[in-house]
Amino acid sequence: MANERIDLPQGTLDLLILRTLALAPQHGWGISERIQQISSDVLQVQQGSLYPALHRLERRGWIKARWGISENSRRAKYYELTRAGRKQLETEAGAWRKLSAAVAQVLDMA
Amino acid sequence: MGKHPTPSELLPGTLDLLILRTLAPGPMHGYGIAHRLQQVSDDVLQVGESSLYPALQRLLLNGWVKAEWGASENNRRARYYTLTAAGRKQLVSEREEFTRMIGAIQKVLDTA
Amino acid sequence: MTPSVQTWLDRAWRRVVFRWRRTQLNRELAEEIESHRLLKEAENSRAGLSPQAARELSNRQMGNIEMAKEDCRDMWSFLRVERLVHDLRLAARLFGRNPGFTVIAVLSLAIGIGGNAAMFTLVDKLLVRPLPYFEPDRLVRVTGIYPRAAVPFFQQQSRTMDVAAVSTGSEYNLTGQGEAVRIFGAAASANLFSVLGPPVAQGRAFEPGEDAPGRDSVIIISDALWKNKFGRDPSILGRVITVNGMNRQIVGIMPPGFSFPSSNIEAWLPLRLDPSNFIEYWGSGWVPFVSRIRPGANVRQAQAEVRALVAQFKKTFPYPMARDWNANSTAIPLQDDLVGDIRGTLLILFSSVGTVLLIACTNVASLLLSRATTRRKEIALRVALGAGRLRIVRQLLTESVLLALIGGGLGILLGMSALSVFKSVLPSSTPGLAAAAIDWRVAGTIAALALLTGLAFGIAPALSASQIDLAGCIRTGSQRSTTSAWTRLRSCLIAAEVALTVLLVVSAGLLMRSLYTLSEVHTGFQPEHILTVRISPNQSSCTERAACIALYGRILDSARGIAGVGDAAIANTLPLDADQPYLAVDIEGRPKSADYPAPLVWSGAISPGYIRMMHIPLLAGREFTEADGANSAGVLLITPSTARIFWPGESPIGKHIRRAGEPQWRTVVGVVGDVRQYSLAQDRPAWVPGAMYMPYAQSTREDGQIYAAMTLLVKGTADSGRLGHEIRSLAEEQDPNVPVSQVQPLEDVVSGSISDFRSTIRVFLSFAGAAILLAAIGIYGLVSYWVTQRTFEIGVRVAMGATRQRIVSIVLAQGLRVAVYGAGAGIVAALAVTRFLASLLYGVTATDPVTFVAVTALVLAVTITATAFPAWRAARIDPVKSLRVD
Repeated sequence: MANERIDLPQGTLDLLILRTLALAPQHGWGISERIQQISSDVLQVQQGSLYPALHRLERRGWIKARWGISENSRRAKYYELTRAGRKQLETEAGAWRKLSAAVAQVLDMA
Repeated sequence: MGKHPTPSELLPGTLDLLILRTLAPGPMHGYGIAHRLQQVSDDVLQVGESSLYPALQRLLLNGWVKAEWGASENNRRARYYTLTAAGRKQLVSEREEFTRMIGAIQKVLDTA
Repeated sequence: MTPSVQTWLDRAWRRVVFRWRRTQLNRELAEEIESHRLLKEAENSRAGLSPQAARELSNRQMGNIEMAKEDCRDMWSFLRVERLVHDLRLAARLFGRNPGFTVIAVLSLAIGIGGNAAMFTLVDKLLVRPLPYFEPDRLVRVTGIYPRAAVPFFQQQSRTMDVAAVSTGSEYNLTGQGEAVRIFGAAASANLFSVLGPPVAQGRAFEPGEDAPGRDSVIIISDALWKNKFGRDPSILGRVITVNGMNRQIVGIMPPGFSFPSSNIEAWLPLRLDPSNFIEYWGSGWVPFVSRIRPGANVRQAQAEVRALVAQFKKTFPYPMARDWNANSTAIPLQDDLVGDIRGTLLILFSSVGTVLLIACTNVASLLLSRATTRRKEIALRVALGAGRLRIVRQLLTESVLLALIGGGLGILLGMSALSVFKSVLPSSTPGLAAAAIDWRVAGTIAALALLTGLAFGIAPALSASQIDLAGCIRTGSQRSTTSAWTRLRSCLIAAEVALTVLLVVSAGLLMRSLYTLSEVHTGFQPEHILTVRISPNQSSCTERAACIALYGRILDSARGIAGVGDAAIANTLPLDADQPYLAVDIEGRPKSADYPAPLVWSGAISPGYIRMMHIPLLAGREFTEADGANSAGVLLITPSTARIFWPGESPIGKHIRRAGEPQWRTVVGVVGDVRQYSLAQDRPAWVPGAMYMPYAQSTREDGQIYAAMTLLVKGTADSGRLGHEIRSLAEEQDPNVPVSQVQPLEDVVSGSISDFRSTIRVFLSFAGAAILLAAIGIYGLVSYWVTQRTFEIGVRVAMGATRQRIVSIVLAQGLRVAVYGAGAGIVAALAVTRFLASLLYGVTATDPVTFVAVTALVLAVTITATAFPAWRAARIDPVKSLRVD
């Protein structure tokens, strides 16, 4: 089965972004790279979904942006978690874990 | 995620997968499927009728289940759904895919 | 997770089955869900709730059933197709509820698209399609006309072309085959058919050398002649027929549809090339050339060669030719030449039709724009109910496209009738004209055009409607939105419409004035009560001059004897007739030179009663009498303009003129009034300086012979139908082999000369009328909408004491403002564009101020009329009603 482009639901994508930023501030390109890396290329976030998600999170106040210099000495917009964002991450991650556990239970039921 | 998380918030197509899995042991009608999902997941998964029946129609359309009228517990007519051979195959492949995706997401969420 | 193709087919099949059993499925779904709910209710009861509470809880637990059912139903159908059908039905209902809007929009589109369908057909068939000859792009026409002597010269000397010659066609007598008839034939060099390409359908083409004297008694006929005259007799080949008294054998029949150089040619005779016949070889019957460029050469080389050959050939003339004779001769591709003279008319028609379409589309776009804004509330509601913006846009676009398709369908029907109108405007001898009809290619393009139009004028309104401010709309009832850019766009559109209309109406007005001036022009004679008949014995029967003079003498006497006939006369040609007899003349006292070769003079041959019968004024000297016969001294009548040119300031009576090369001089004995011989606009073309009359008995053609074919004019009170029969029988009495043709009143000849022009004007007028109507509708729509938008404001004004007159003038000002801007732009455009009409105008300049002012006044009057109803409506606004927030 090839790597089809799955459109991650909003909630899941937001969650992944928040989690990635929890480690360190990052710019958009870096975020999608990191997600791809860690998931061993299973998760490939398209630009068309990434940037709207970033704006959404910014509007909700869970991340904030500032301009900095990137690795190749270019100006880039860096995003970082806000305090509210950290709290949201915990809540979301918890809910997600519960849901996936529930689904796993169903899938494994005898 | 809202107060009543739906399986679709996990990954698209999760609901279809769950229904297929629930039907694996044997035929069931709509109410039974919803009830079973709720039971096995300790009340976490509450599938509403507004998502359940359209999903069942979709499975019918794809030929992964078939439906027959029978009598329900309270002696009324109800439609019982059964997995087809294609449906069983689909269950296996979807489950693999699902596990892979969830695993990947989990990895990201677990990084220190 | 994606199904394979096989699975896709299965799915599609299942969808079809679902769709088919939809009602049953609906019922079953309802039953299934109800059953589910009952189970839940039972569960709730078991948990301890009262029956009532259990039921209510179960209802809530089921959630949004209706939406679930909807989603299920989506599974069962071909969503996109269903949506389209639904949109179409909605659109159809909308149109039904607003018949006025629908009718106007559909009609506007039909008019625009129909006219364009007809024009497109014409342009395609006449201008664009290649000629039906072999490799037509290598065929050229060499411009200028050449004496027969030039034919072998060019054929032998040209290295880049195969040169053929063919005359434009003249009438011949066909006798010996039942009734004597006149046929229209062309004289061609022997190689004409091999140059053009298409093979004969039966028999053979001319063989090389058959244009030499002695071998030229052959003839090739057209398919039409074979059908009409000979009834497709299969044994026609080899039959000998008599043409102009000469026996010719039919050796070939051309395929149907072949008719070179024009569509009325029925036969081809060899062009006799006889160097020993000086007059014919060098003097009379000059012919145009058509050539095929040889392989390896191109048009530019051919053009250069033509110039060189003309210069060389000029030196071989046995008499002096003007220095600049055919100096500008060149070779033009045949395609361009054949349609050259109609290209101008076609392009003018095309641009005016395109303009009308533009106006129509603008109108409909504007109409839709206004409807969209008045439907705001409905649209706002649908948005609130969950319809996406894309969905709304899609539905509005479906409406416009449906409108365009209906309009397009109607337009094709209209186009067919428009096509026949256009065809009547173009000269009937245009090749391919009769066969032009709307075929599926045109229909397909029109369908595409209609679709594009629909999308084009659907987009602006669709986008406008979907951008509404939801909350604002529902709160204030949508009647007080601010003037958006879309409204400004609408005003600009309407102003543009007015500009285009002004352009069209000015053109139509100029043309109409030309027509009027032309038809009122003083022709120099009075055609009332005169019947004309063409009598055409073979030229060979007049080699003995006395015979023909006697023949016509007898005919005149018999004609005068008919009851009801006052007078009779003969003439070699009628005014405004196609035949223009010119003679090269010598003028005593003016020697010829290379720069001043023998001038050409229009020469009429008449009987003594002609001048009197036509009421041509005698200005000096005397008319002809019976005494001016074959053996008397040669006399002439000339016109004042001729006298002014040849003998300025002197009396022309007594001066001498003769046909170039004649031994005897003829004397001018009288001056008669100028007559419009050539056209209503001109007496003569610019290169013919004079006109003269000769008595029939003394008349001469270019070749020195007397005219055989003459027109009999009969004046009287007798009924023209009966008269025609009587003349026919008296001519037959004299000689049964003499064809009698073209029986028509002289008045018809006169009016026939501008009938083509008149038809063109009619077409233009209809365009102009359509444009005015459309512009009026546009203005009405705009102002009406403006009034509706400003209802609140107007109510305020009335409440504050404004009079009804004031309100009316405010509304009028709105309409007039747009119209004035539009008219201004239109006048500027017209000033720039009407110069292209200059060749068609007569008696008016392209920038005639009277016309411009009149059209402007007309446009303003129409504007005021169109604004009248909305103004009246505005004046009746009841402030109490309008000030209430809706």
